[in-house]
Amino acid sequence: MRKILVLLALSSGAMAEDIFAYPRAYWENSVTVWFWVAVAIYLIVAIPSVYFMVKYHYKPGKNEEGEHIEGNTALEIVWTVIPTIIVLFLGTYSFANFVKQRQAPEGALELKVTAFMWGWEIEYPNGKKVYTFFNQVADPEKNIYLMPEKIDDSVKAYIPAGKPVKVYCTSRDVIHSFFVHEARVTEDCVPGRITKLWFQFNKPGEYWVFCREYCGTWHSRMATVLKAVSEEEFNKWLGPTQGAQQPAPAEQAPQQATQ
Amino acid sequence: MAVAHVPPSGTWYGATLKEWIFTTDHKKVGMLYFITSLVFFVVAGLFGLIIRFEQTAPGIHLPGMFGQEGADLYNYILTGHGAIMLLWWAVVVWGGGFANFLVPLMIGARDVAFPRLNSFSYWSFFGASLLVLLTLLPPNWIKMLWTGYAPYSMNDNAGPTSLYVLIVLLYSISSTGGSVNMITTIVSMRAKGIGWTKLNLFVHAIMAASLIQLFGVPALMGSVILLFTDKYLGTNFYNPMLGGDPLLYQHLLWFYSHPVVYVMILPAFGVFSEVISTMARKPIFGYISMALAIYAIAFVGFETWVHHMFVSGVPDWTRVLFSYTTLFVAVPTGIKIFNWVATLHKASIRYNTPMLFTFGGILMFLIGGLTGIPNAMVSIDLGISDSLFIVGHFHYVLGMALTFAAFSGIYFWYPKVTGRMYSEGLGKLSFWLMLIGANIMFFFQMYMGMANGMPRRYPDYPPIPEWVQLMQIQTVGALIMSVAILLSLINWVKSLWGPKADDNPWKSPSLEWSMTTTPVGPNNFKKFPVEVPDDWHPYAYYKGYHAHI
Repeated sequence: MRKILVLLALSSGAMAEDIFAYPRAYWENSVTVWFWVAVAIYLIVAIPSVYFMVKYHYKPGKNEEGEHIEGNTALEIVWTVIPTIIVLFLGTYSFANFVKQRQAPEGALELKVTAFMWGWEIEYPNGKKVYTFFNQVADPEKNIYLMPEKIDDSVKAYIPAGKPVKVYCTSRDVIHSFFVHEARVTEDCVPGRITKLWFQFNKPGEYWVFCREYCGTWHSRMATVLKAVSEEEFNKWLGPTQGAQQPAPAEQAPQQATQ
Repeated sequence: MAVAHVPPSGTWYGATLKEWIFTTDHKKVGMLYFITSLVFFVVAGLFGLIIRFEQTAPGIHLPGMFGQEGADLYNYILTGHGAIMLLWWAVVVWGGGFANFLVPLMIGARDVAFPRLNSFSYWSFFGASLLVLLTLLPPNWIKMLWTGYAPYSMNDNAGPTSLYVLIVLLYSISSTGGSVNMITTIVSMRAKGIGWTKLNLFVHAIMAASLIQLFGVPALMGSVILLFTDKYLGTNFYNPMLGGDPLLYQHLLWFYSHPVVYVMILPAFGVFSEVISTMARKPIFGYISMALAIYAIAFVGFETWVHHMFVSGVPDWTRVLFSYTTLFVAVPTGIKIFNWVATLHKASIRYNTPMLFTFGGILMFLIGGLTGIPNAMVSIDLGISDSLFIVGHFHYVLGMALTFAAFSGIYFWYPKVTGRMYSEGLGKLSFWLMLIGANIMFFFQMYMGMANGMPRRYPDYPPIPEWVQLMQIQTVGALIMSVAILLSLINWVKSLWGPKADDNPWKSPSLEWSMTTTPVGPNNFKKFPVEVPDDWHPYAYYKGYHAHI
């Protein structure tokens, strides 16, 4: 167990420079640990099983009946206590990663997402809004999904690459779920509540967002695309901030004073 | 006593149609449950194949009709597949079919405690079944999935809420009646000398499952009654616009619907124990810890429901707490697996069809159990919640481990129920095809959810070449599996004219084999009341014991 941990620590340290996305990196840590634990347990059960199945095959005249063994208290205690320890370890390892997966770093771009049947409204801090409807992600003639590069840029939500993004999500009608596909993070968008998640893409590119809570006819096409671009390009796309939109800076000062 | 009125030479199924309809005999009621369950299993299986064909290529292929889209038809089929497989097959095949037929025979009783309630339970289940058939008409398509999450289930897009509520209520009445019957029967009708440590593990499993039903079903009934009053009578339990909370529905639903997975899988564990001990000719290893593990699973099962809601917006501390409680289920289930393996040590293993299906089922459960861990580890669940990974996982445990167990049980008790022997060759062929098909289908389904992050409940998806390939592989697996199931169905029908079976073909000391004729007579036992020697035990497989049989 400790060896695996050391290996993991080494491998994650080596990969630190080229981490593709958060919180996917933390998610992958937990998946890796689970995977090797599961493989180990699988072998611990499968190897003796196959051995017994072959060795104690019924041979007429040789082993008509099994031995009269009813149990072994020591063994039974061993395979109660050891799994308990493994379970506590897995739960705690998951806990440690979970905290990082849920805690957005300082200075994240904050987006307000409102889900509806069937599409997304994404609002930026300066009031700019991007809408995506289910029929904009599919080709109506072929009745098939478009790939991100074929989807009109106007329905894509731009985000700065290499910078954390925090999403506050709610819904206008039924429950939806904002699933940032390549970042491996999802959170339900519940009417009457505001839920949150964060993610970060370190490489520019176009990434799917899918709805992950069943919501009716076009659940499977309730998708949008995040376009991660350089911070410079993002600022150009976003346009002036709310403060700069104000006609005269002089009018802004008294407003701030009253706050 | 009424014993004298029944000719002891008859078979349990020898009766007129009128008797079959008005029967209160546990064997006949059990068989009514079983046949209904099996018919719905086939229907839901065909629904599953339609899902596979829809997903094999991107785009919506199902035709729209009566003003509804092809995607709506998919949603209806998906709802039907889930609801029927879980409620009509996984729960009822055990609690209705197997338990009714076997529990009184295993404990030495003439019938269940309340035979008329038993019959009533079946017929209210039958009523629910007829209502399910009504949903085949397009205006009645229920598209809210078997979970019926509010507030979607109150939306007109989801189909007729009232029909859904009525089906669930009728079904709940039947479940409650059935579980009350089983608990009372097991507690008060055991034959003299059959203490709690001398019960078949299958009986312990039914006891634990019935307790879960009795405690859990009220939450389910409550959740759908509130849904009904919200939609039609203007209350606002779930409507956030009026101050309600949609998460209340999820809490009520999962408080029942998580423990109910143990209602489905515990009897499957029971069958594994019966078959492994009988076919390995060895007492089950660690009987006491096996029985305690069953009740431990039932108890811990009530403390884990929030893992279904890890991304639903519940507070973070709740998620961590329930992450630990969910992981603890692994401990008692681990005990069961290790004990089954230890039972094989120094055994004498016969590889016939029931044993193969049991081995296959334990293998599927092992994989399903290990892939259940990521759903309990909240850190991993954030990335795989509502993906195809979870679909693959529960098809390993509830889909396949359970169906392998049911098939194993059907083959195992086939001679006792029908008086005829099934065909070994056909049974083994069916097993190998099913093992291969199921693993191709569900392994790649899980892989797709974990590695590719494909969301579930998607009839349509982006035409990413790797996704299309993975979907096609799954369809191949599903087709192989269908052939396997068809072969078993043919086997069970064909073997009704097969060779006659002995009273105790497996040489088992368990009462349903050792104390009855084949097929079982109307009075159940050759001699009543049943008496067992002091050293009797259902798993007493060892040299010299057979003198008592």
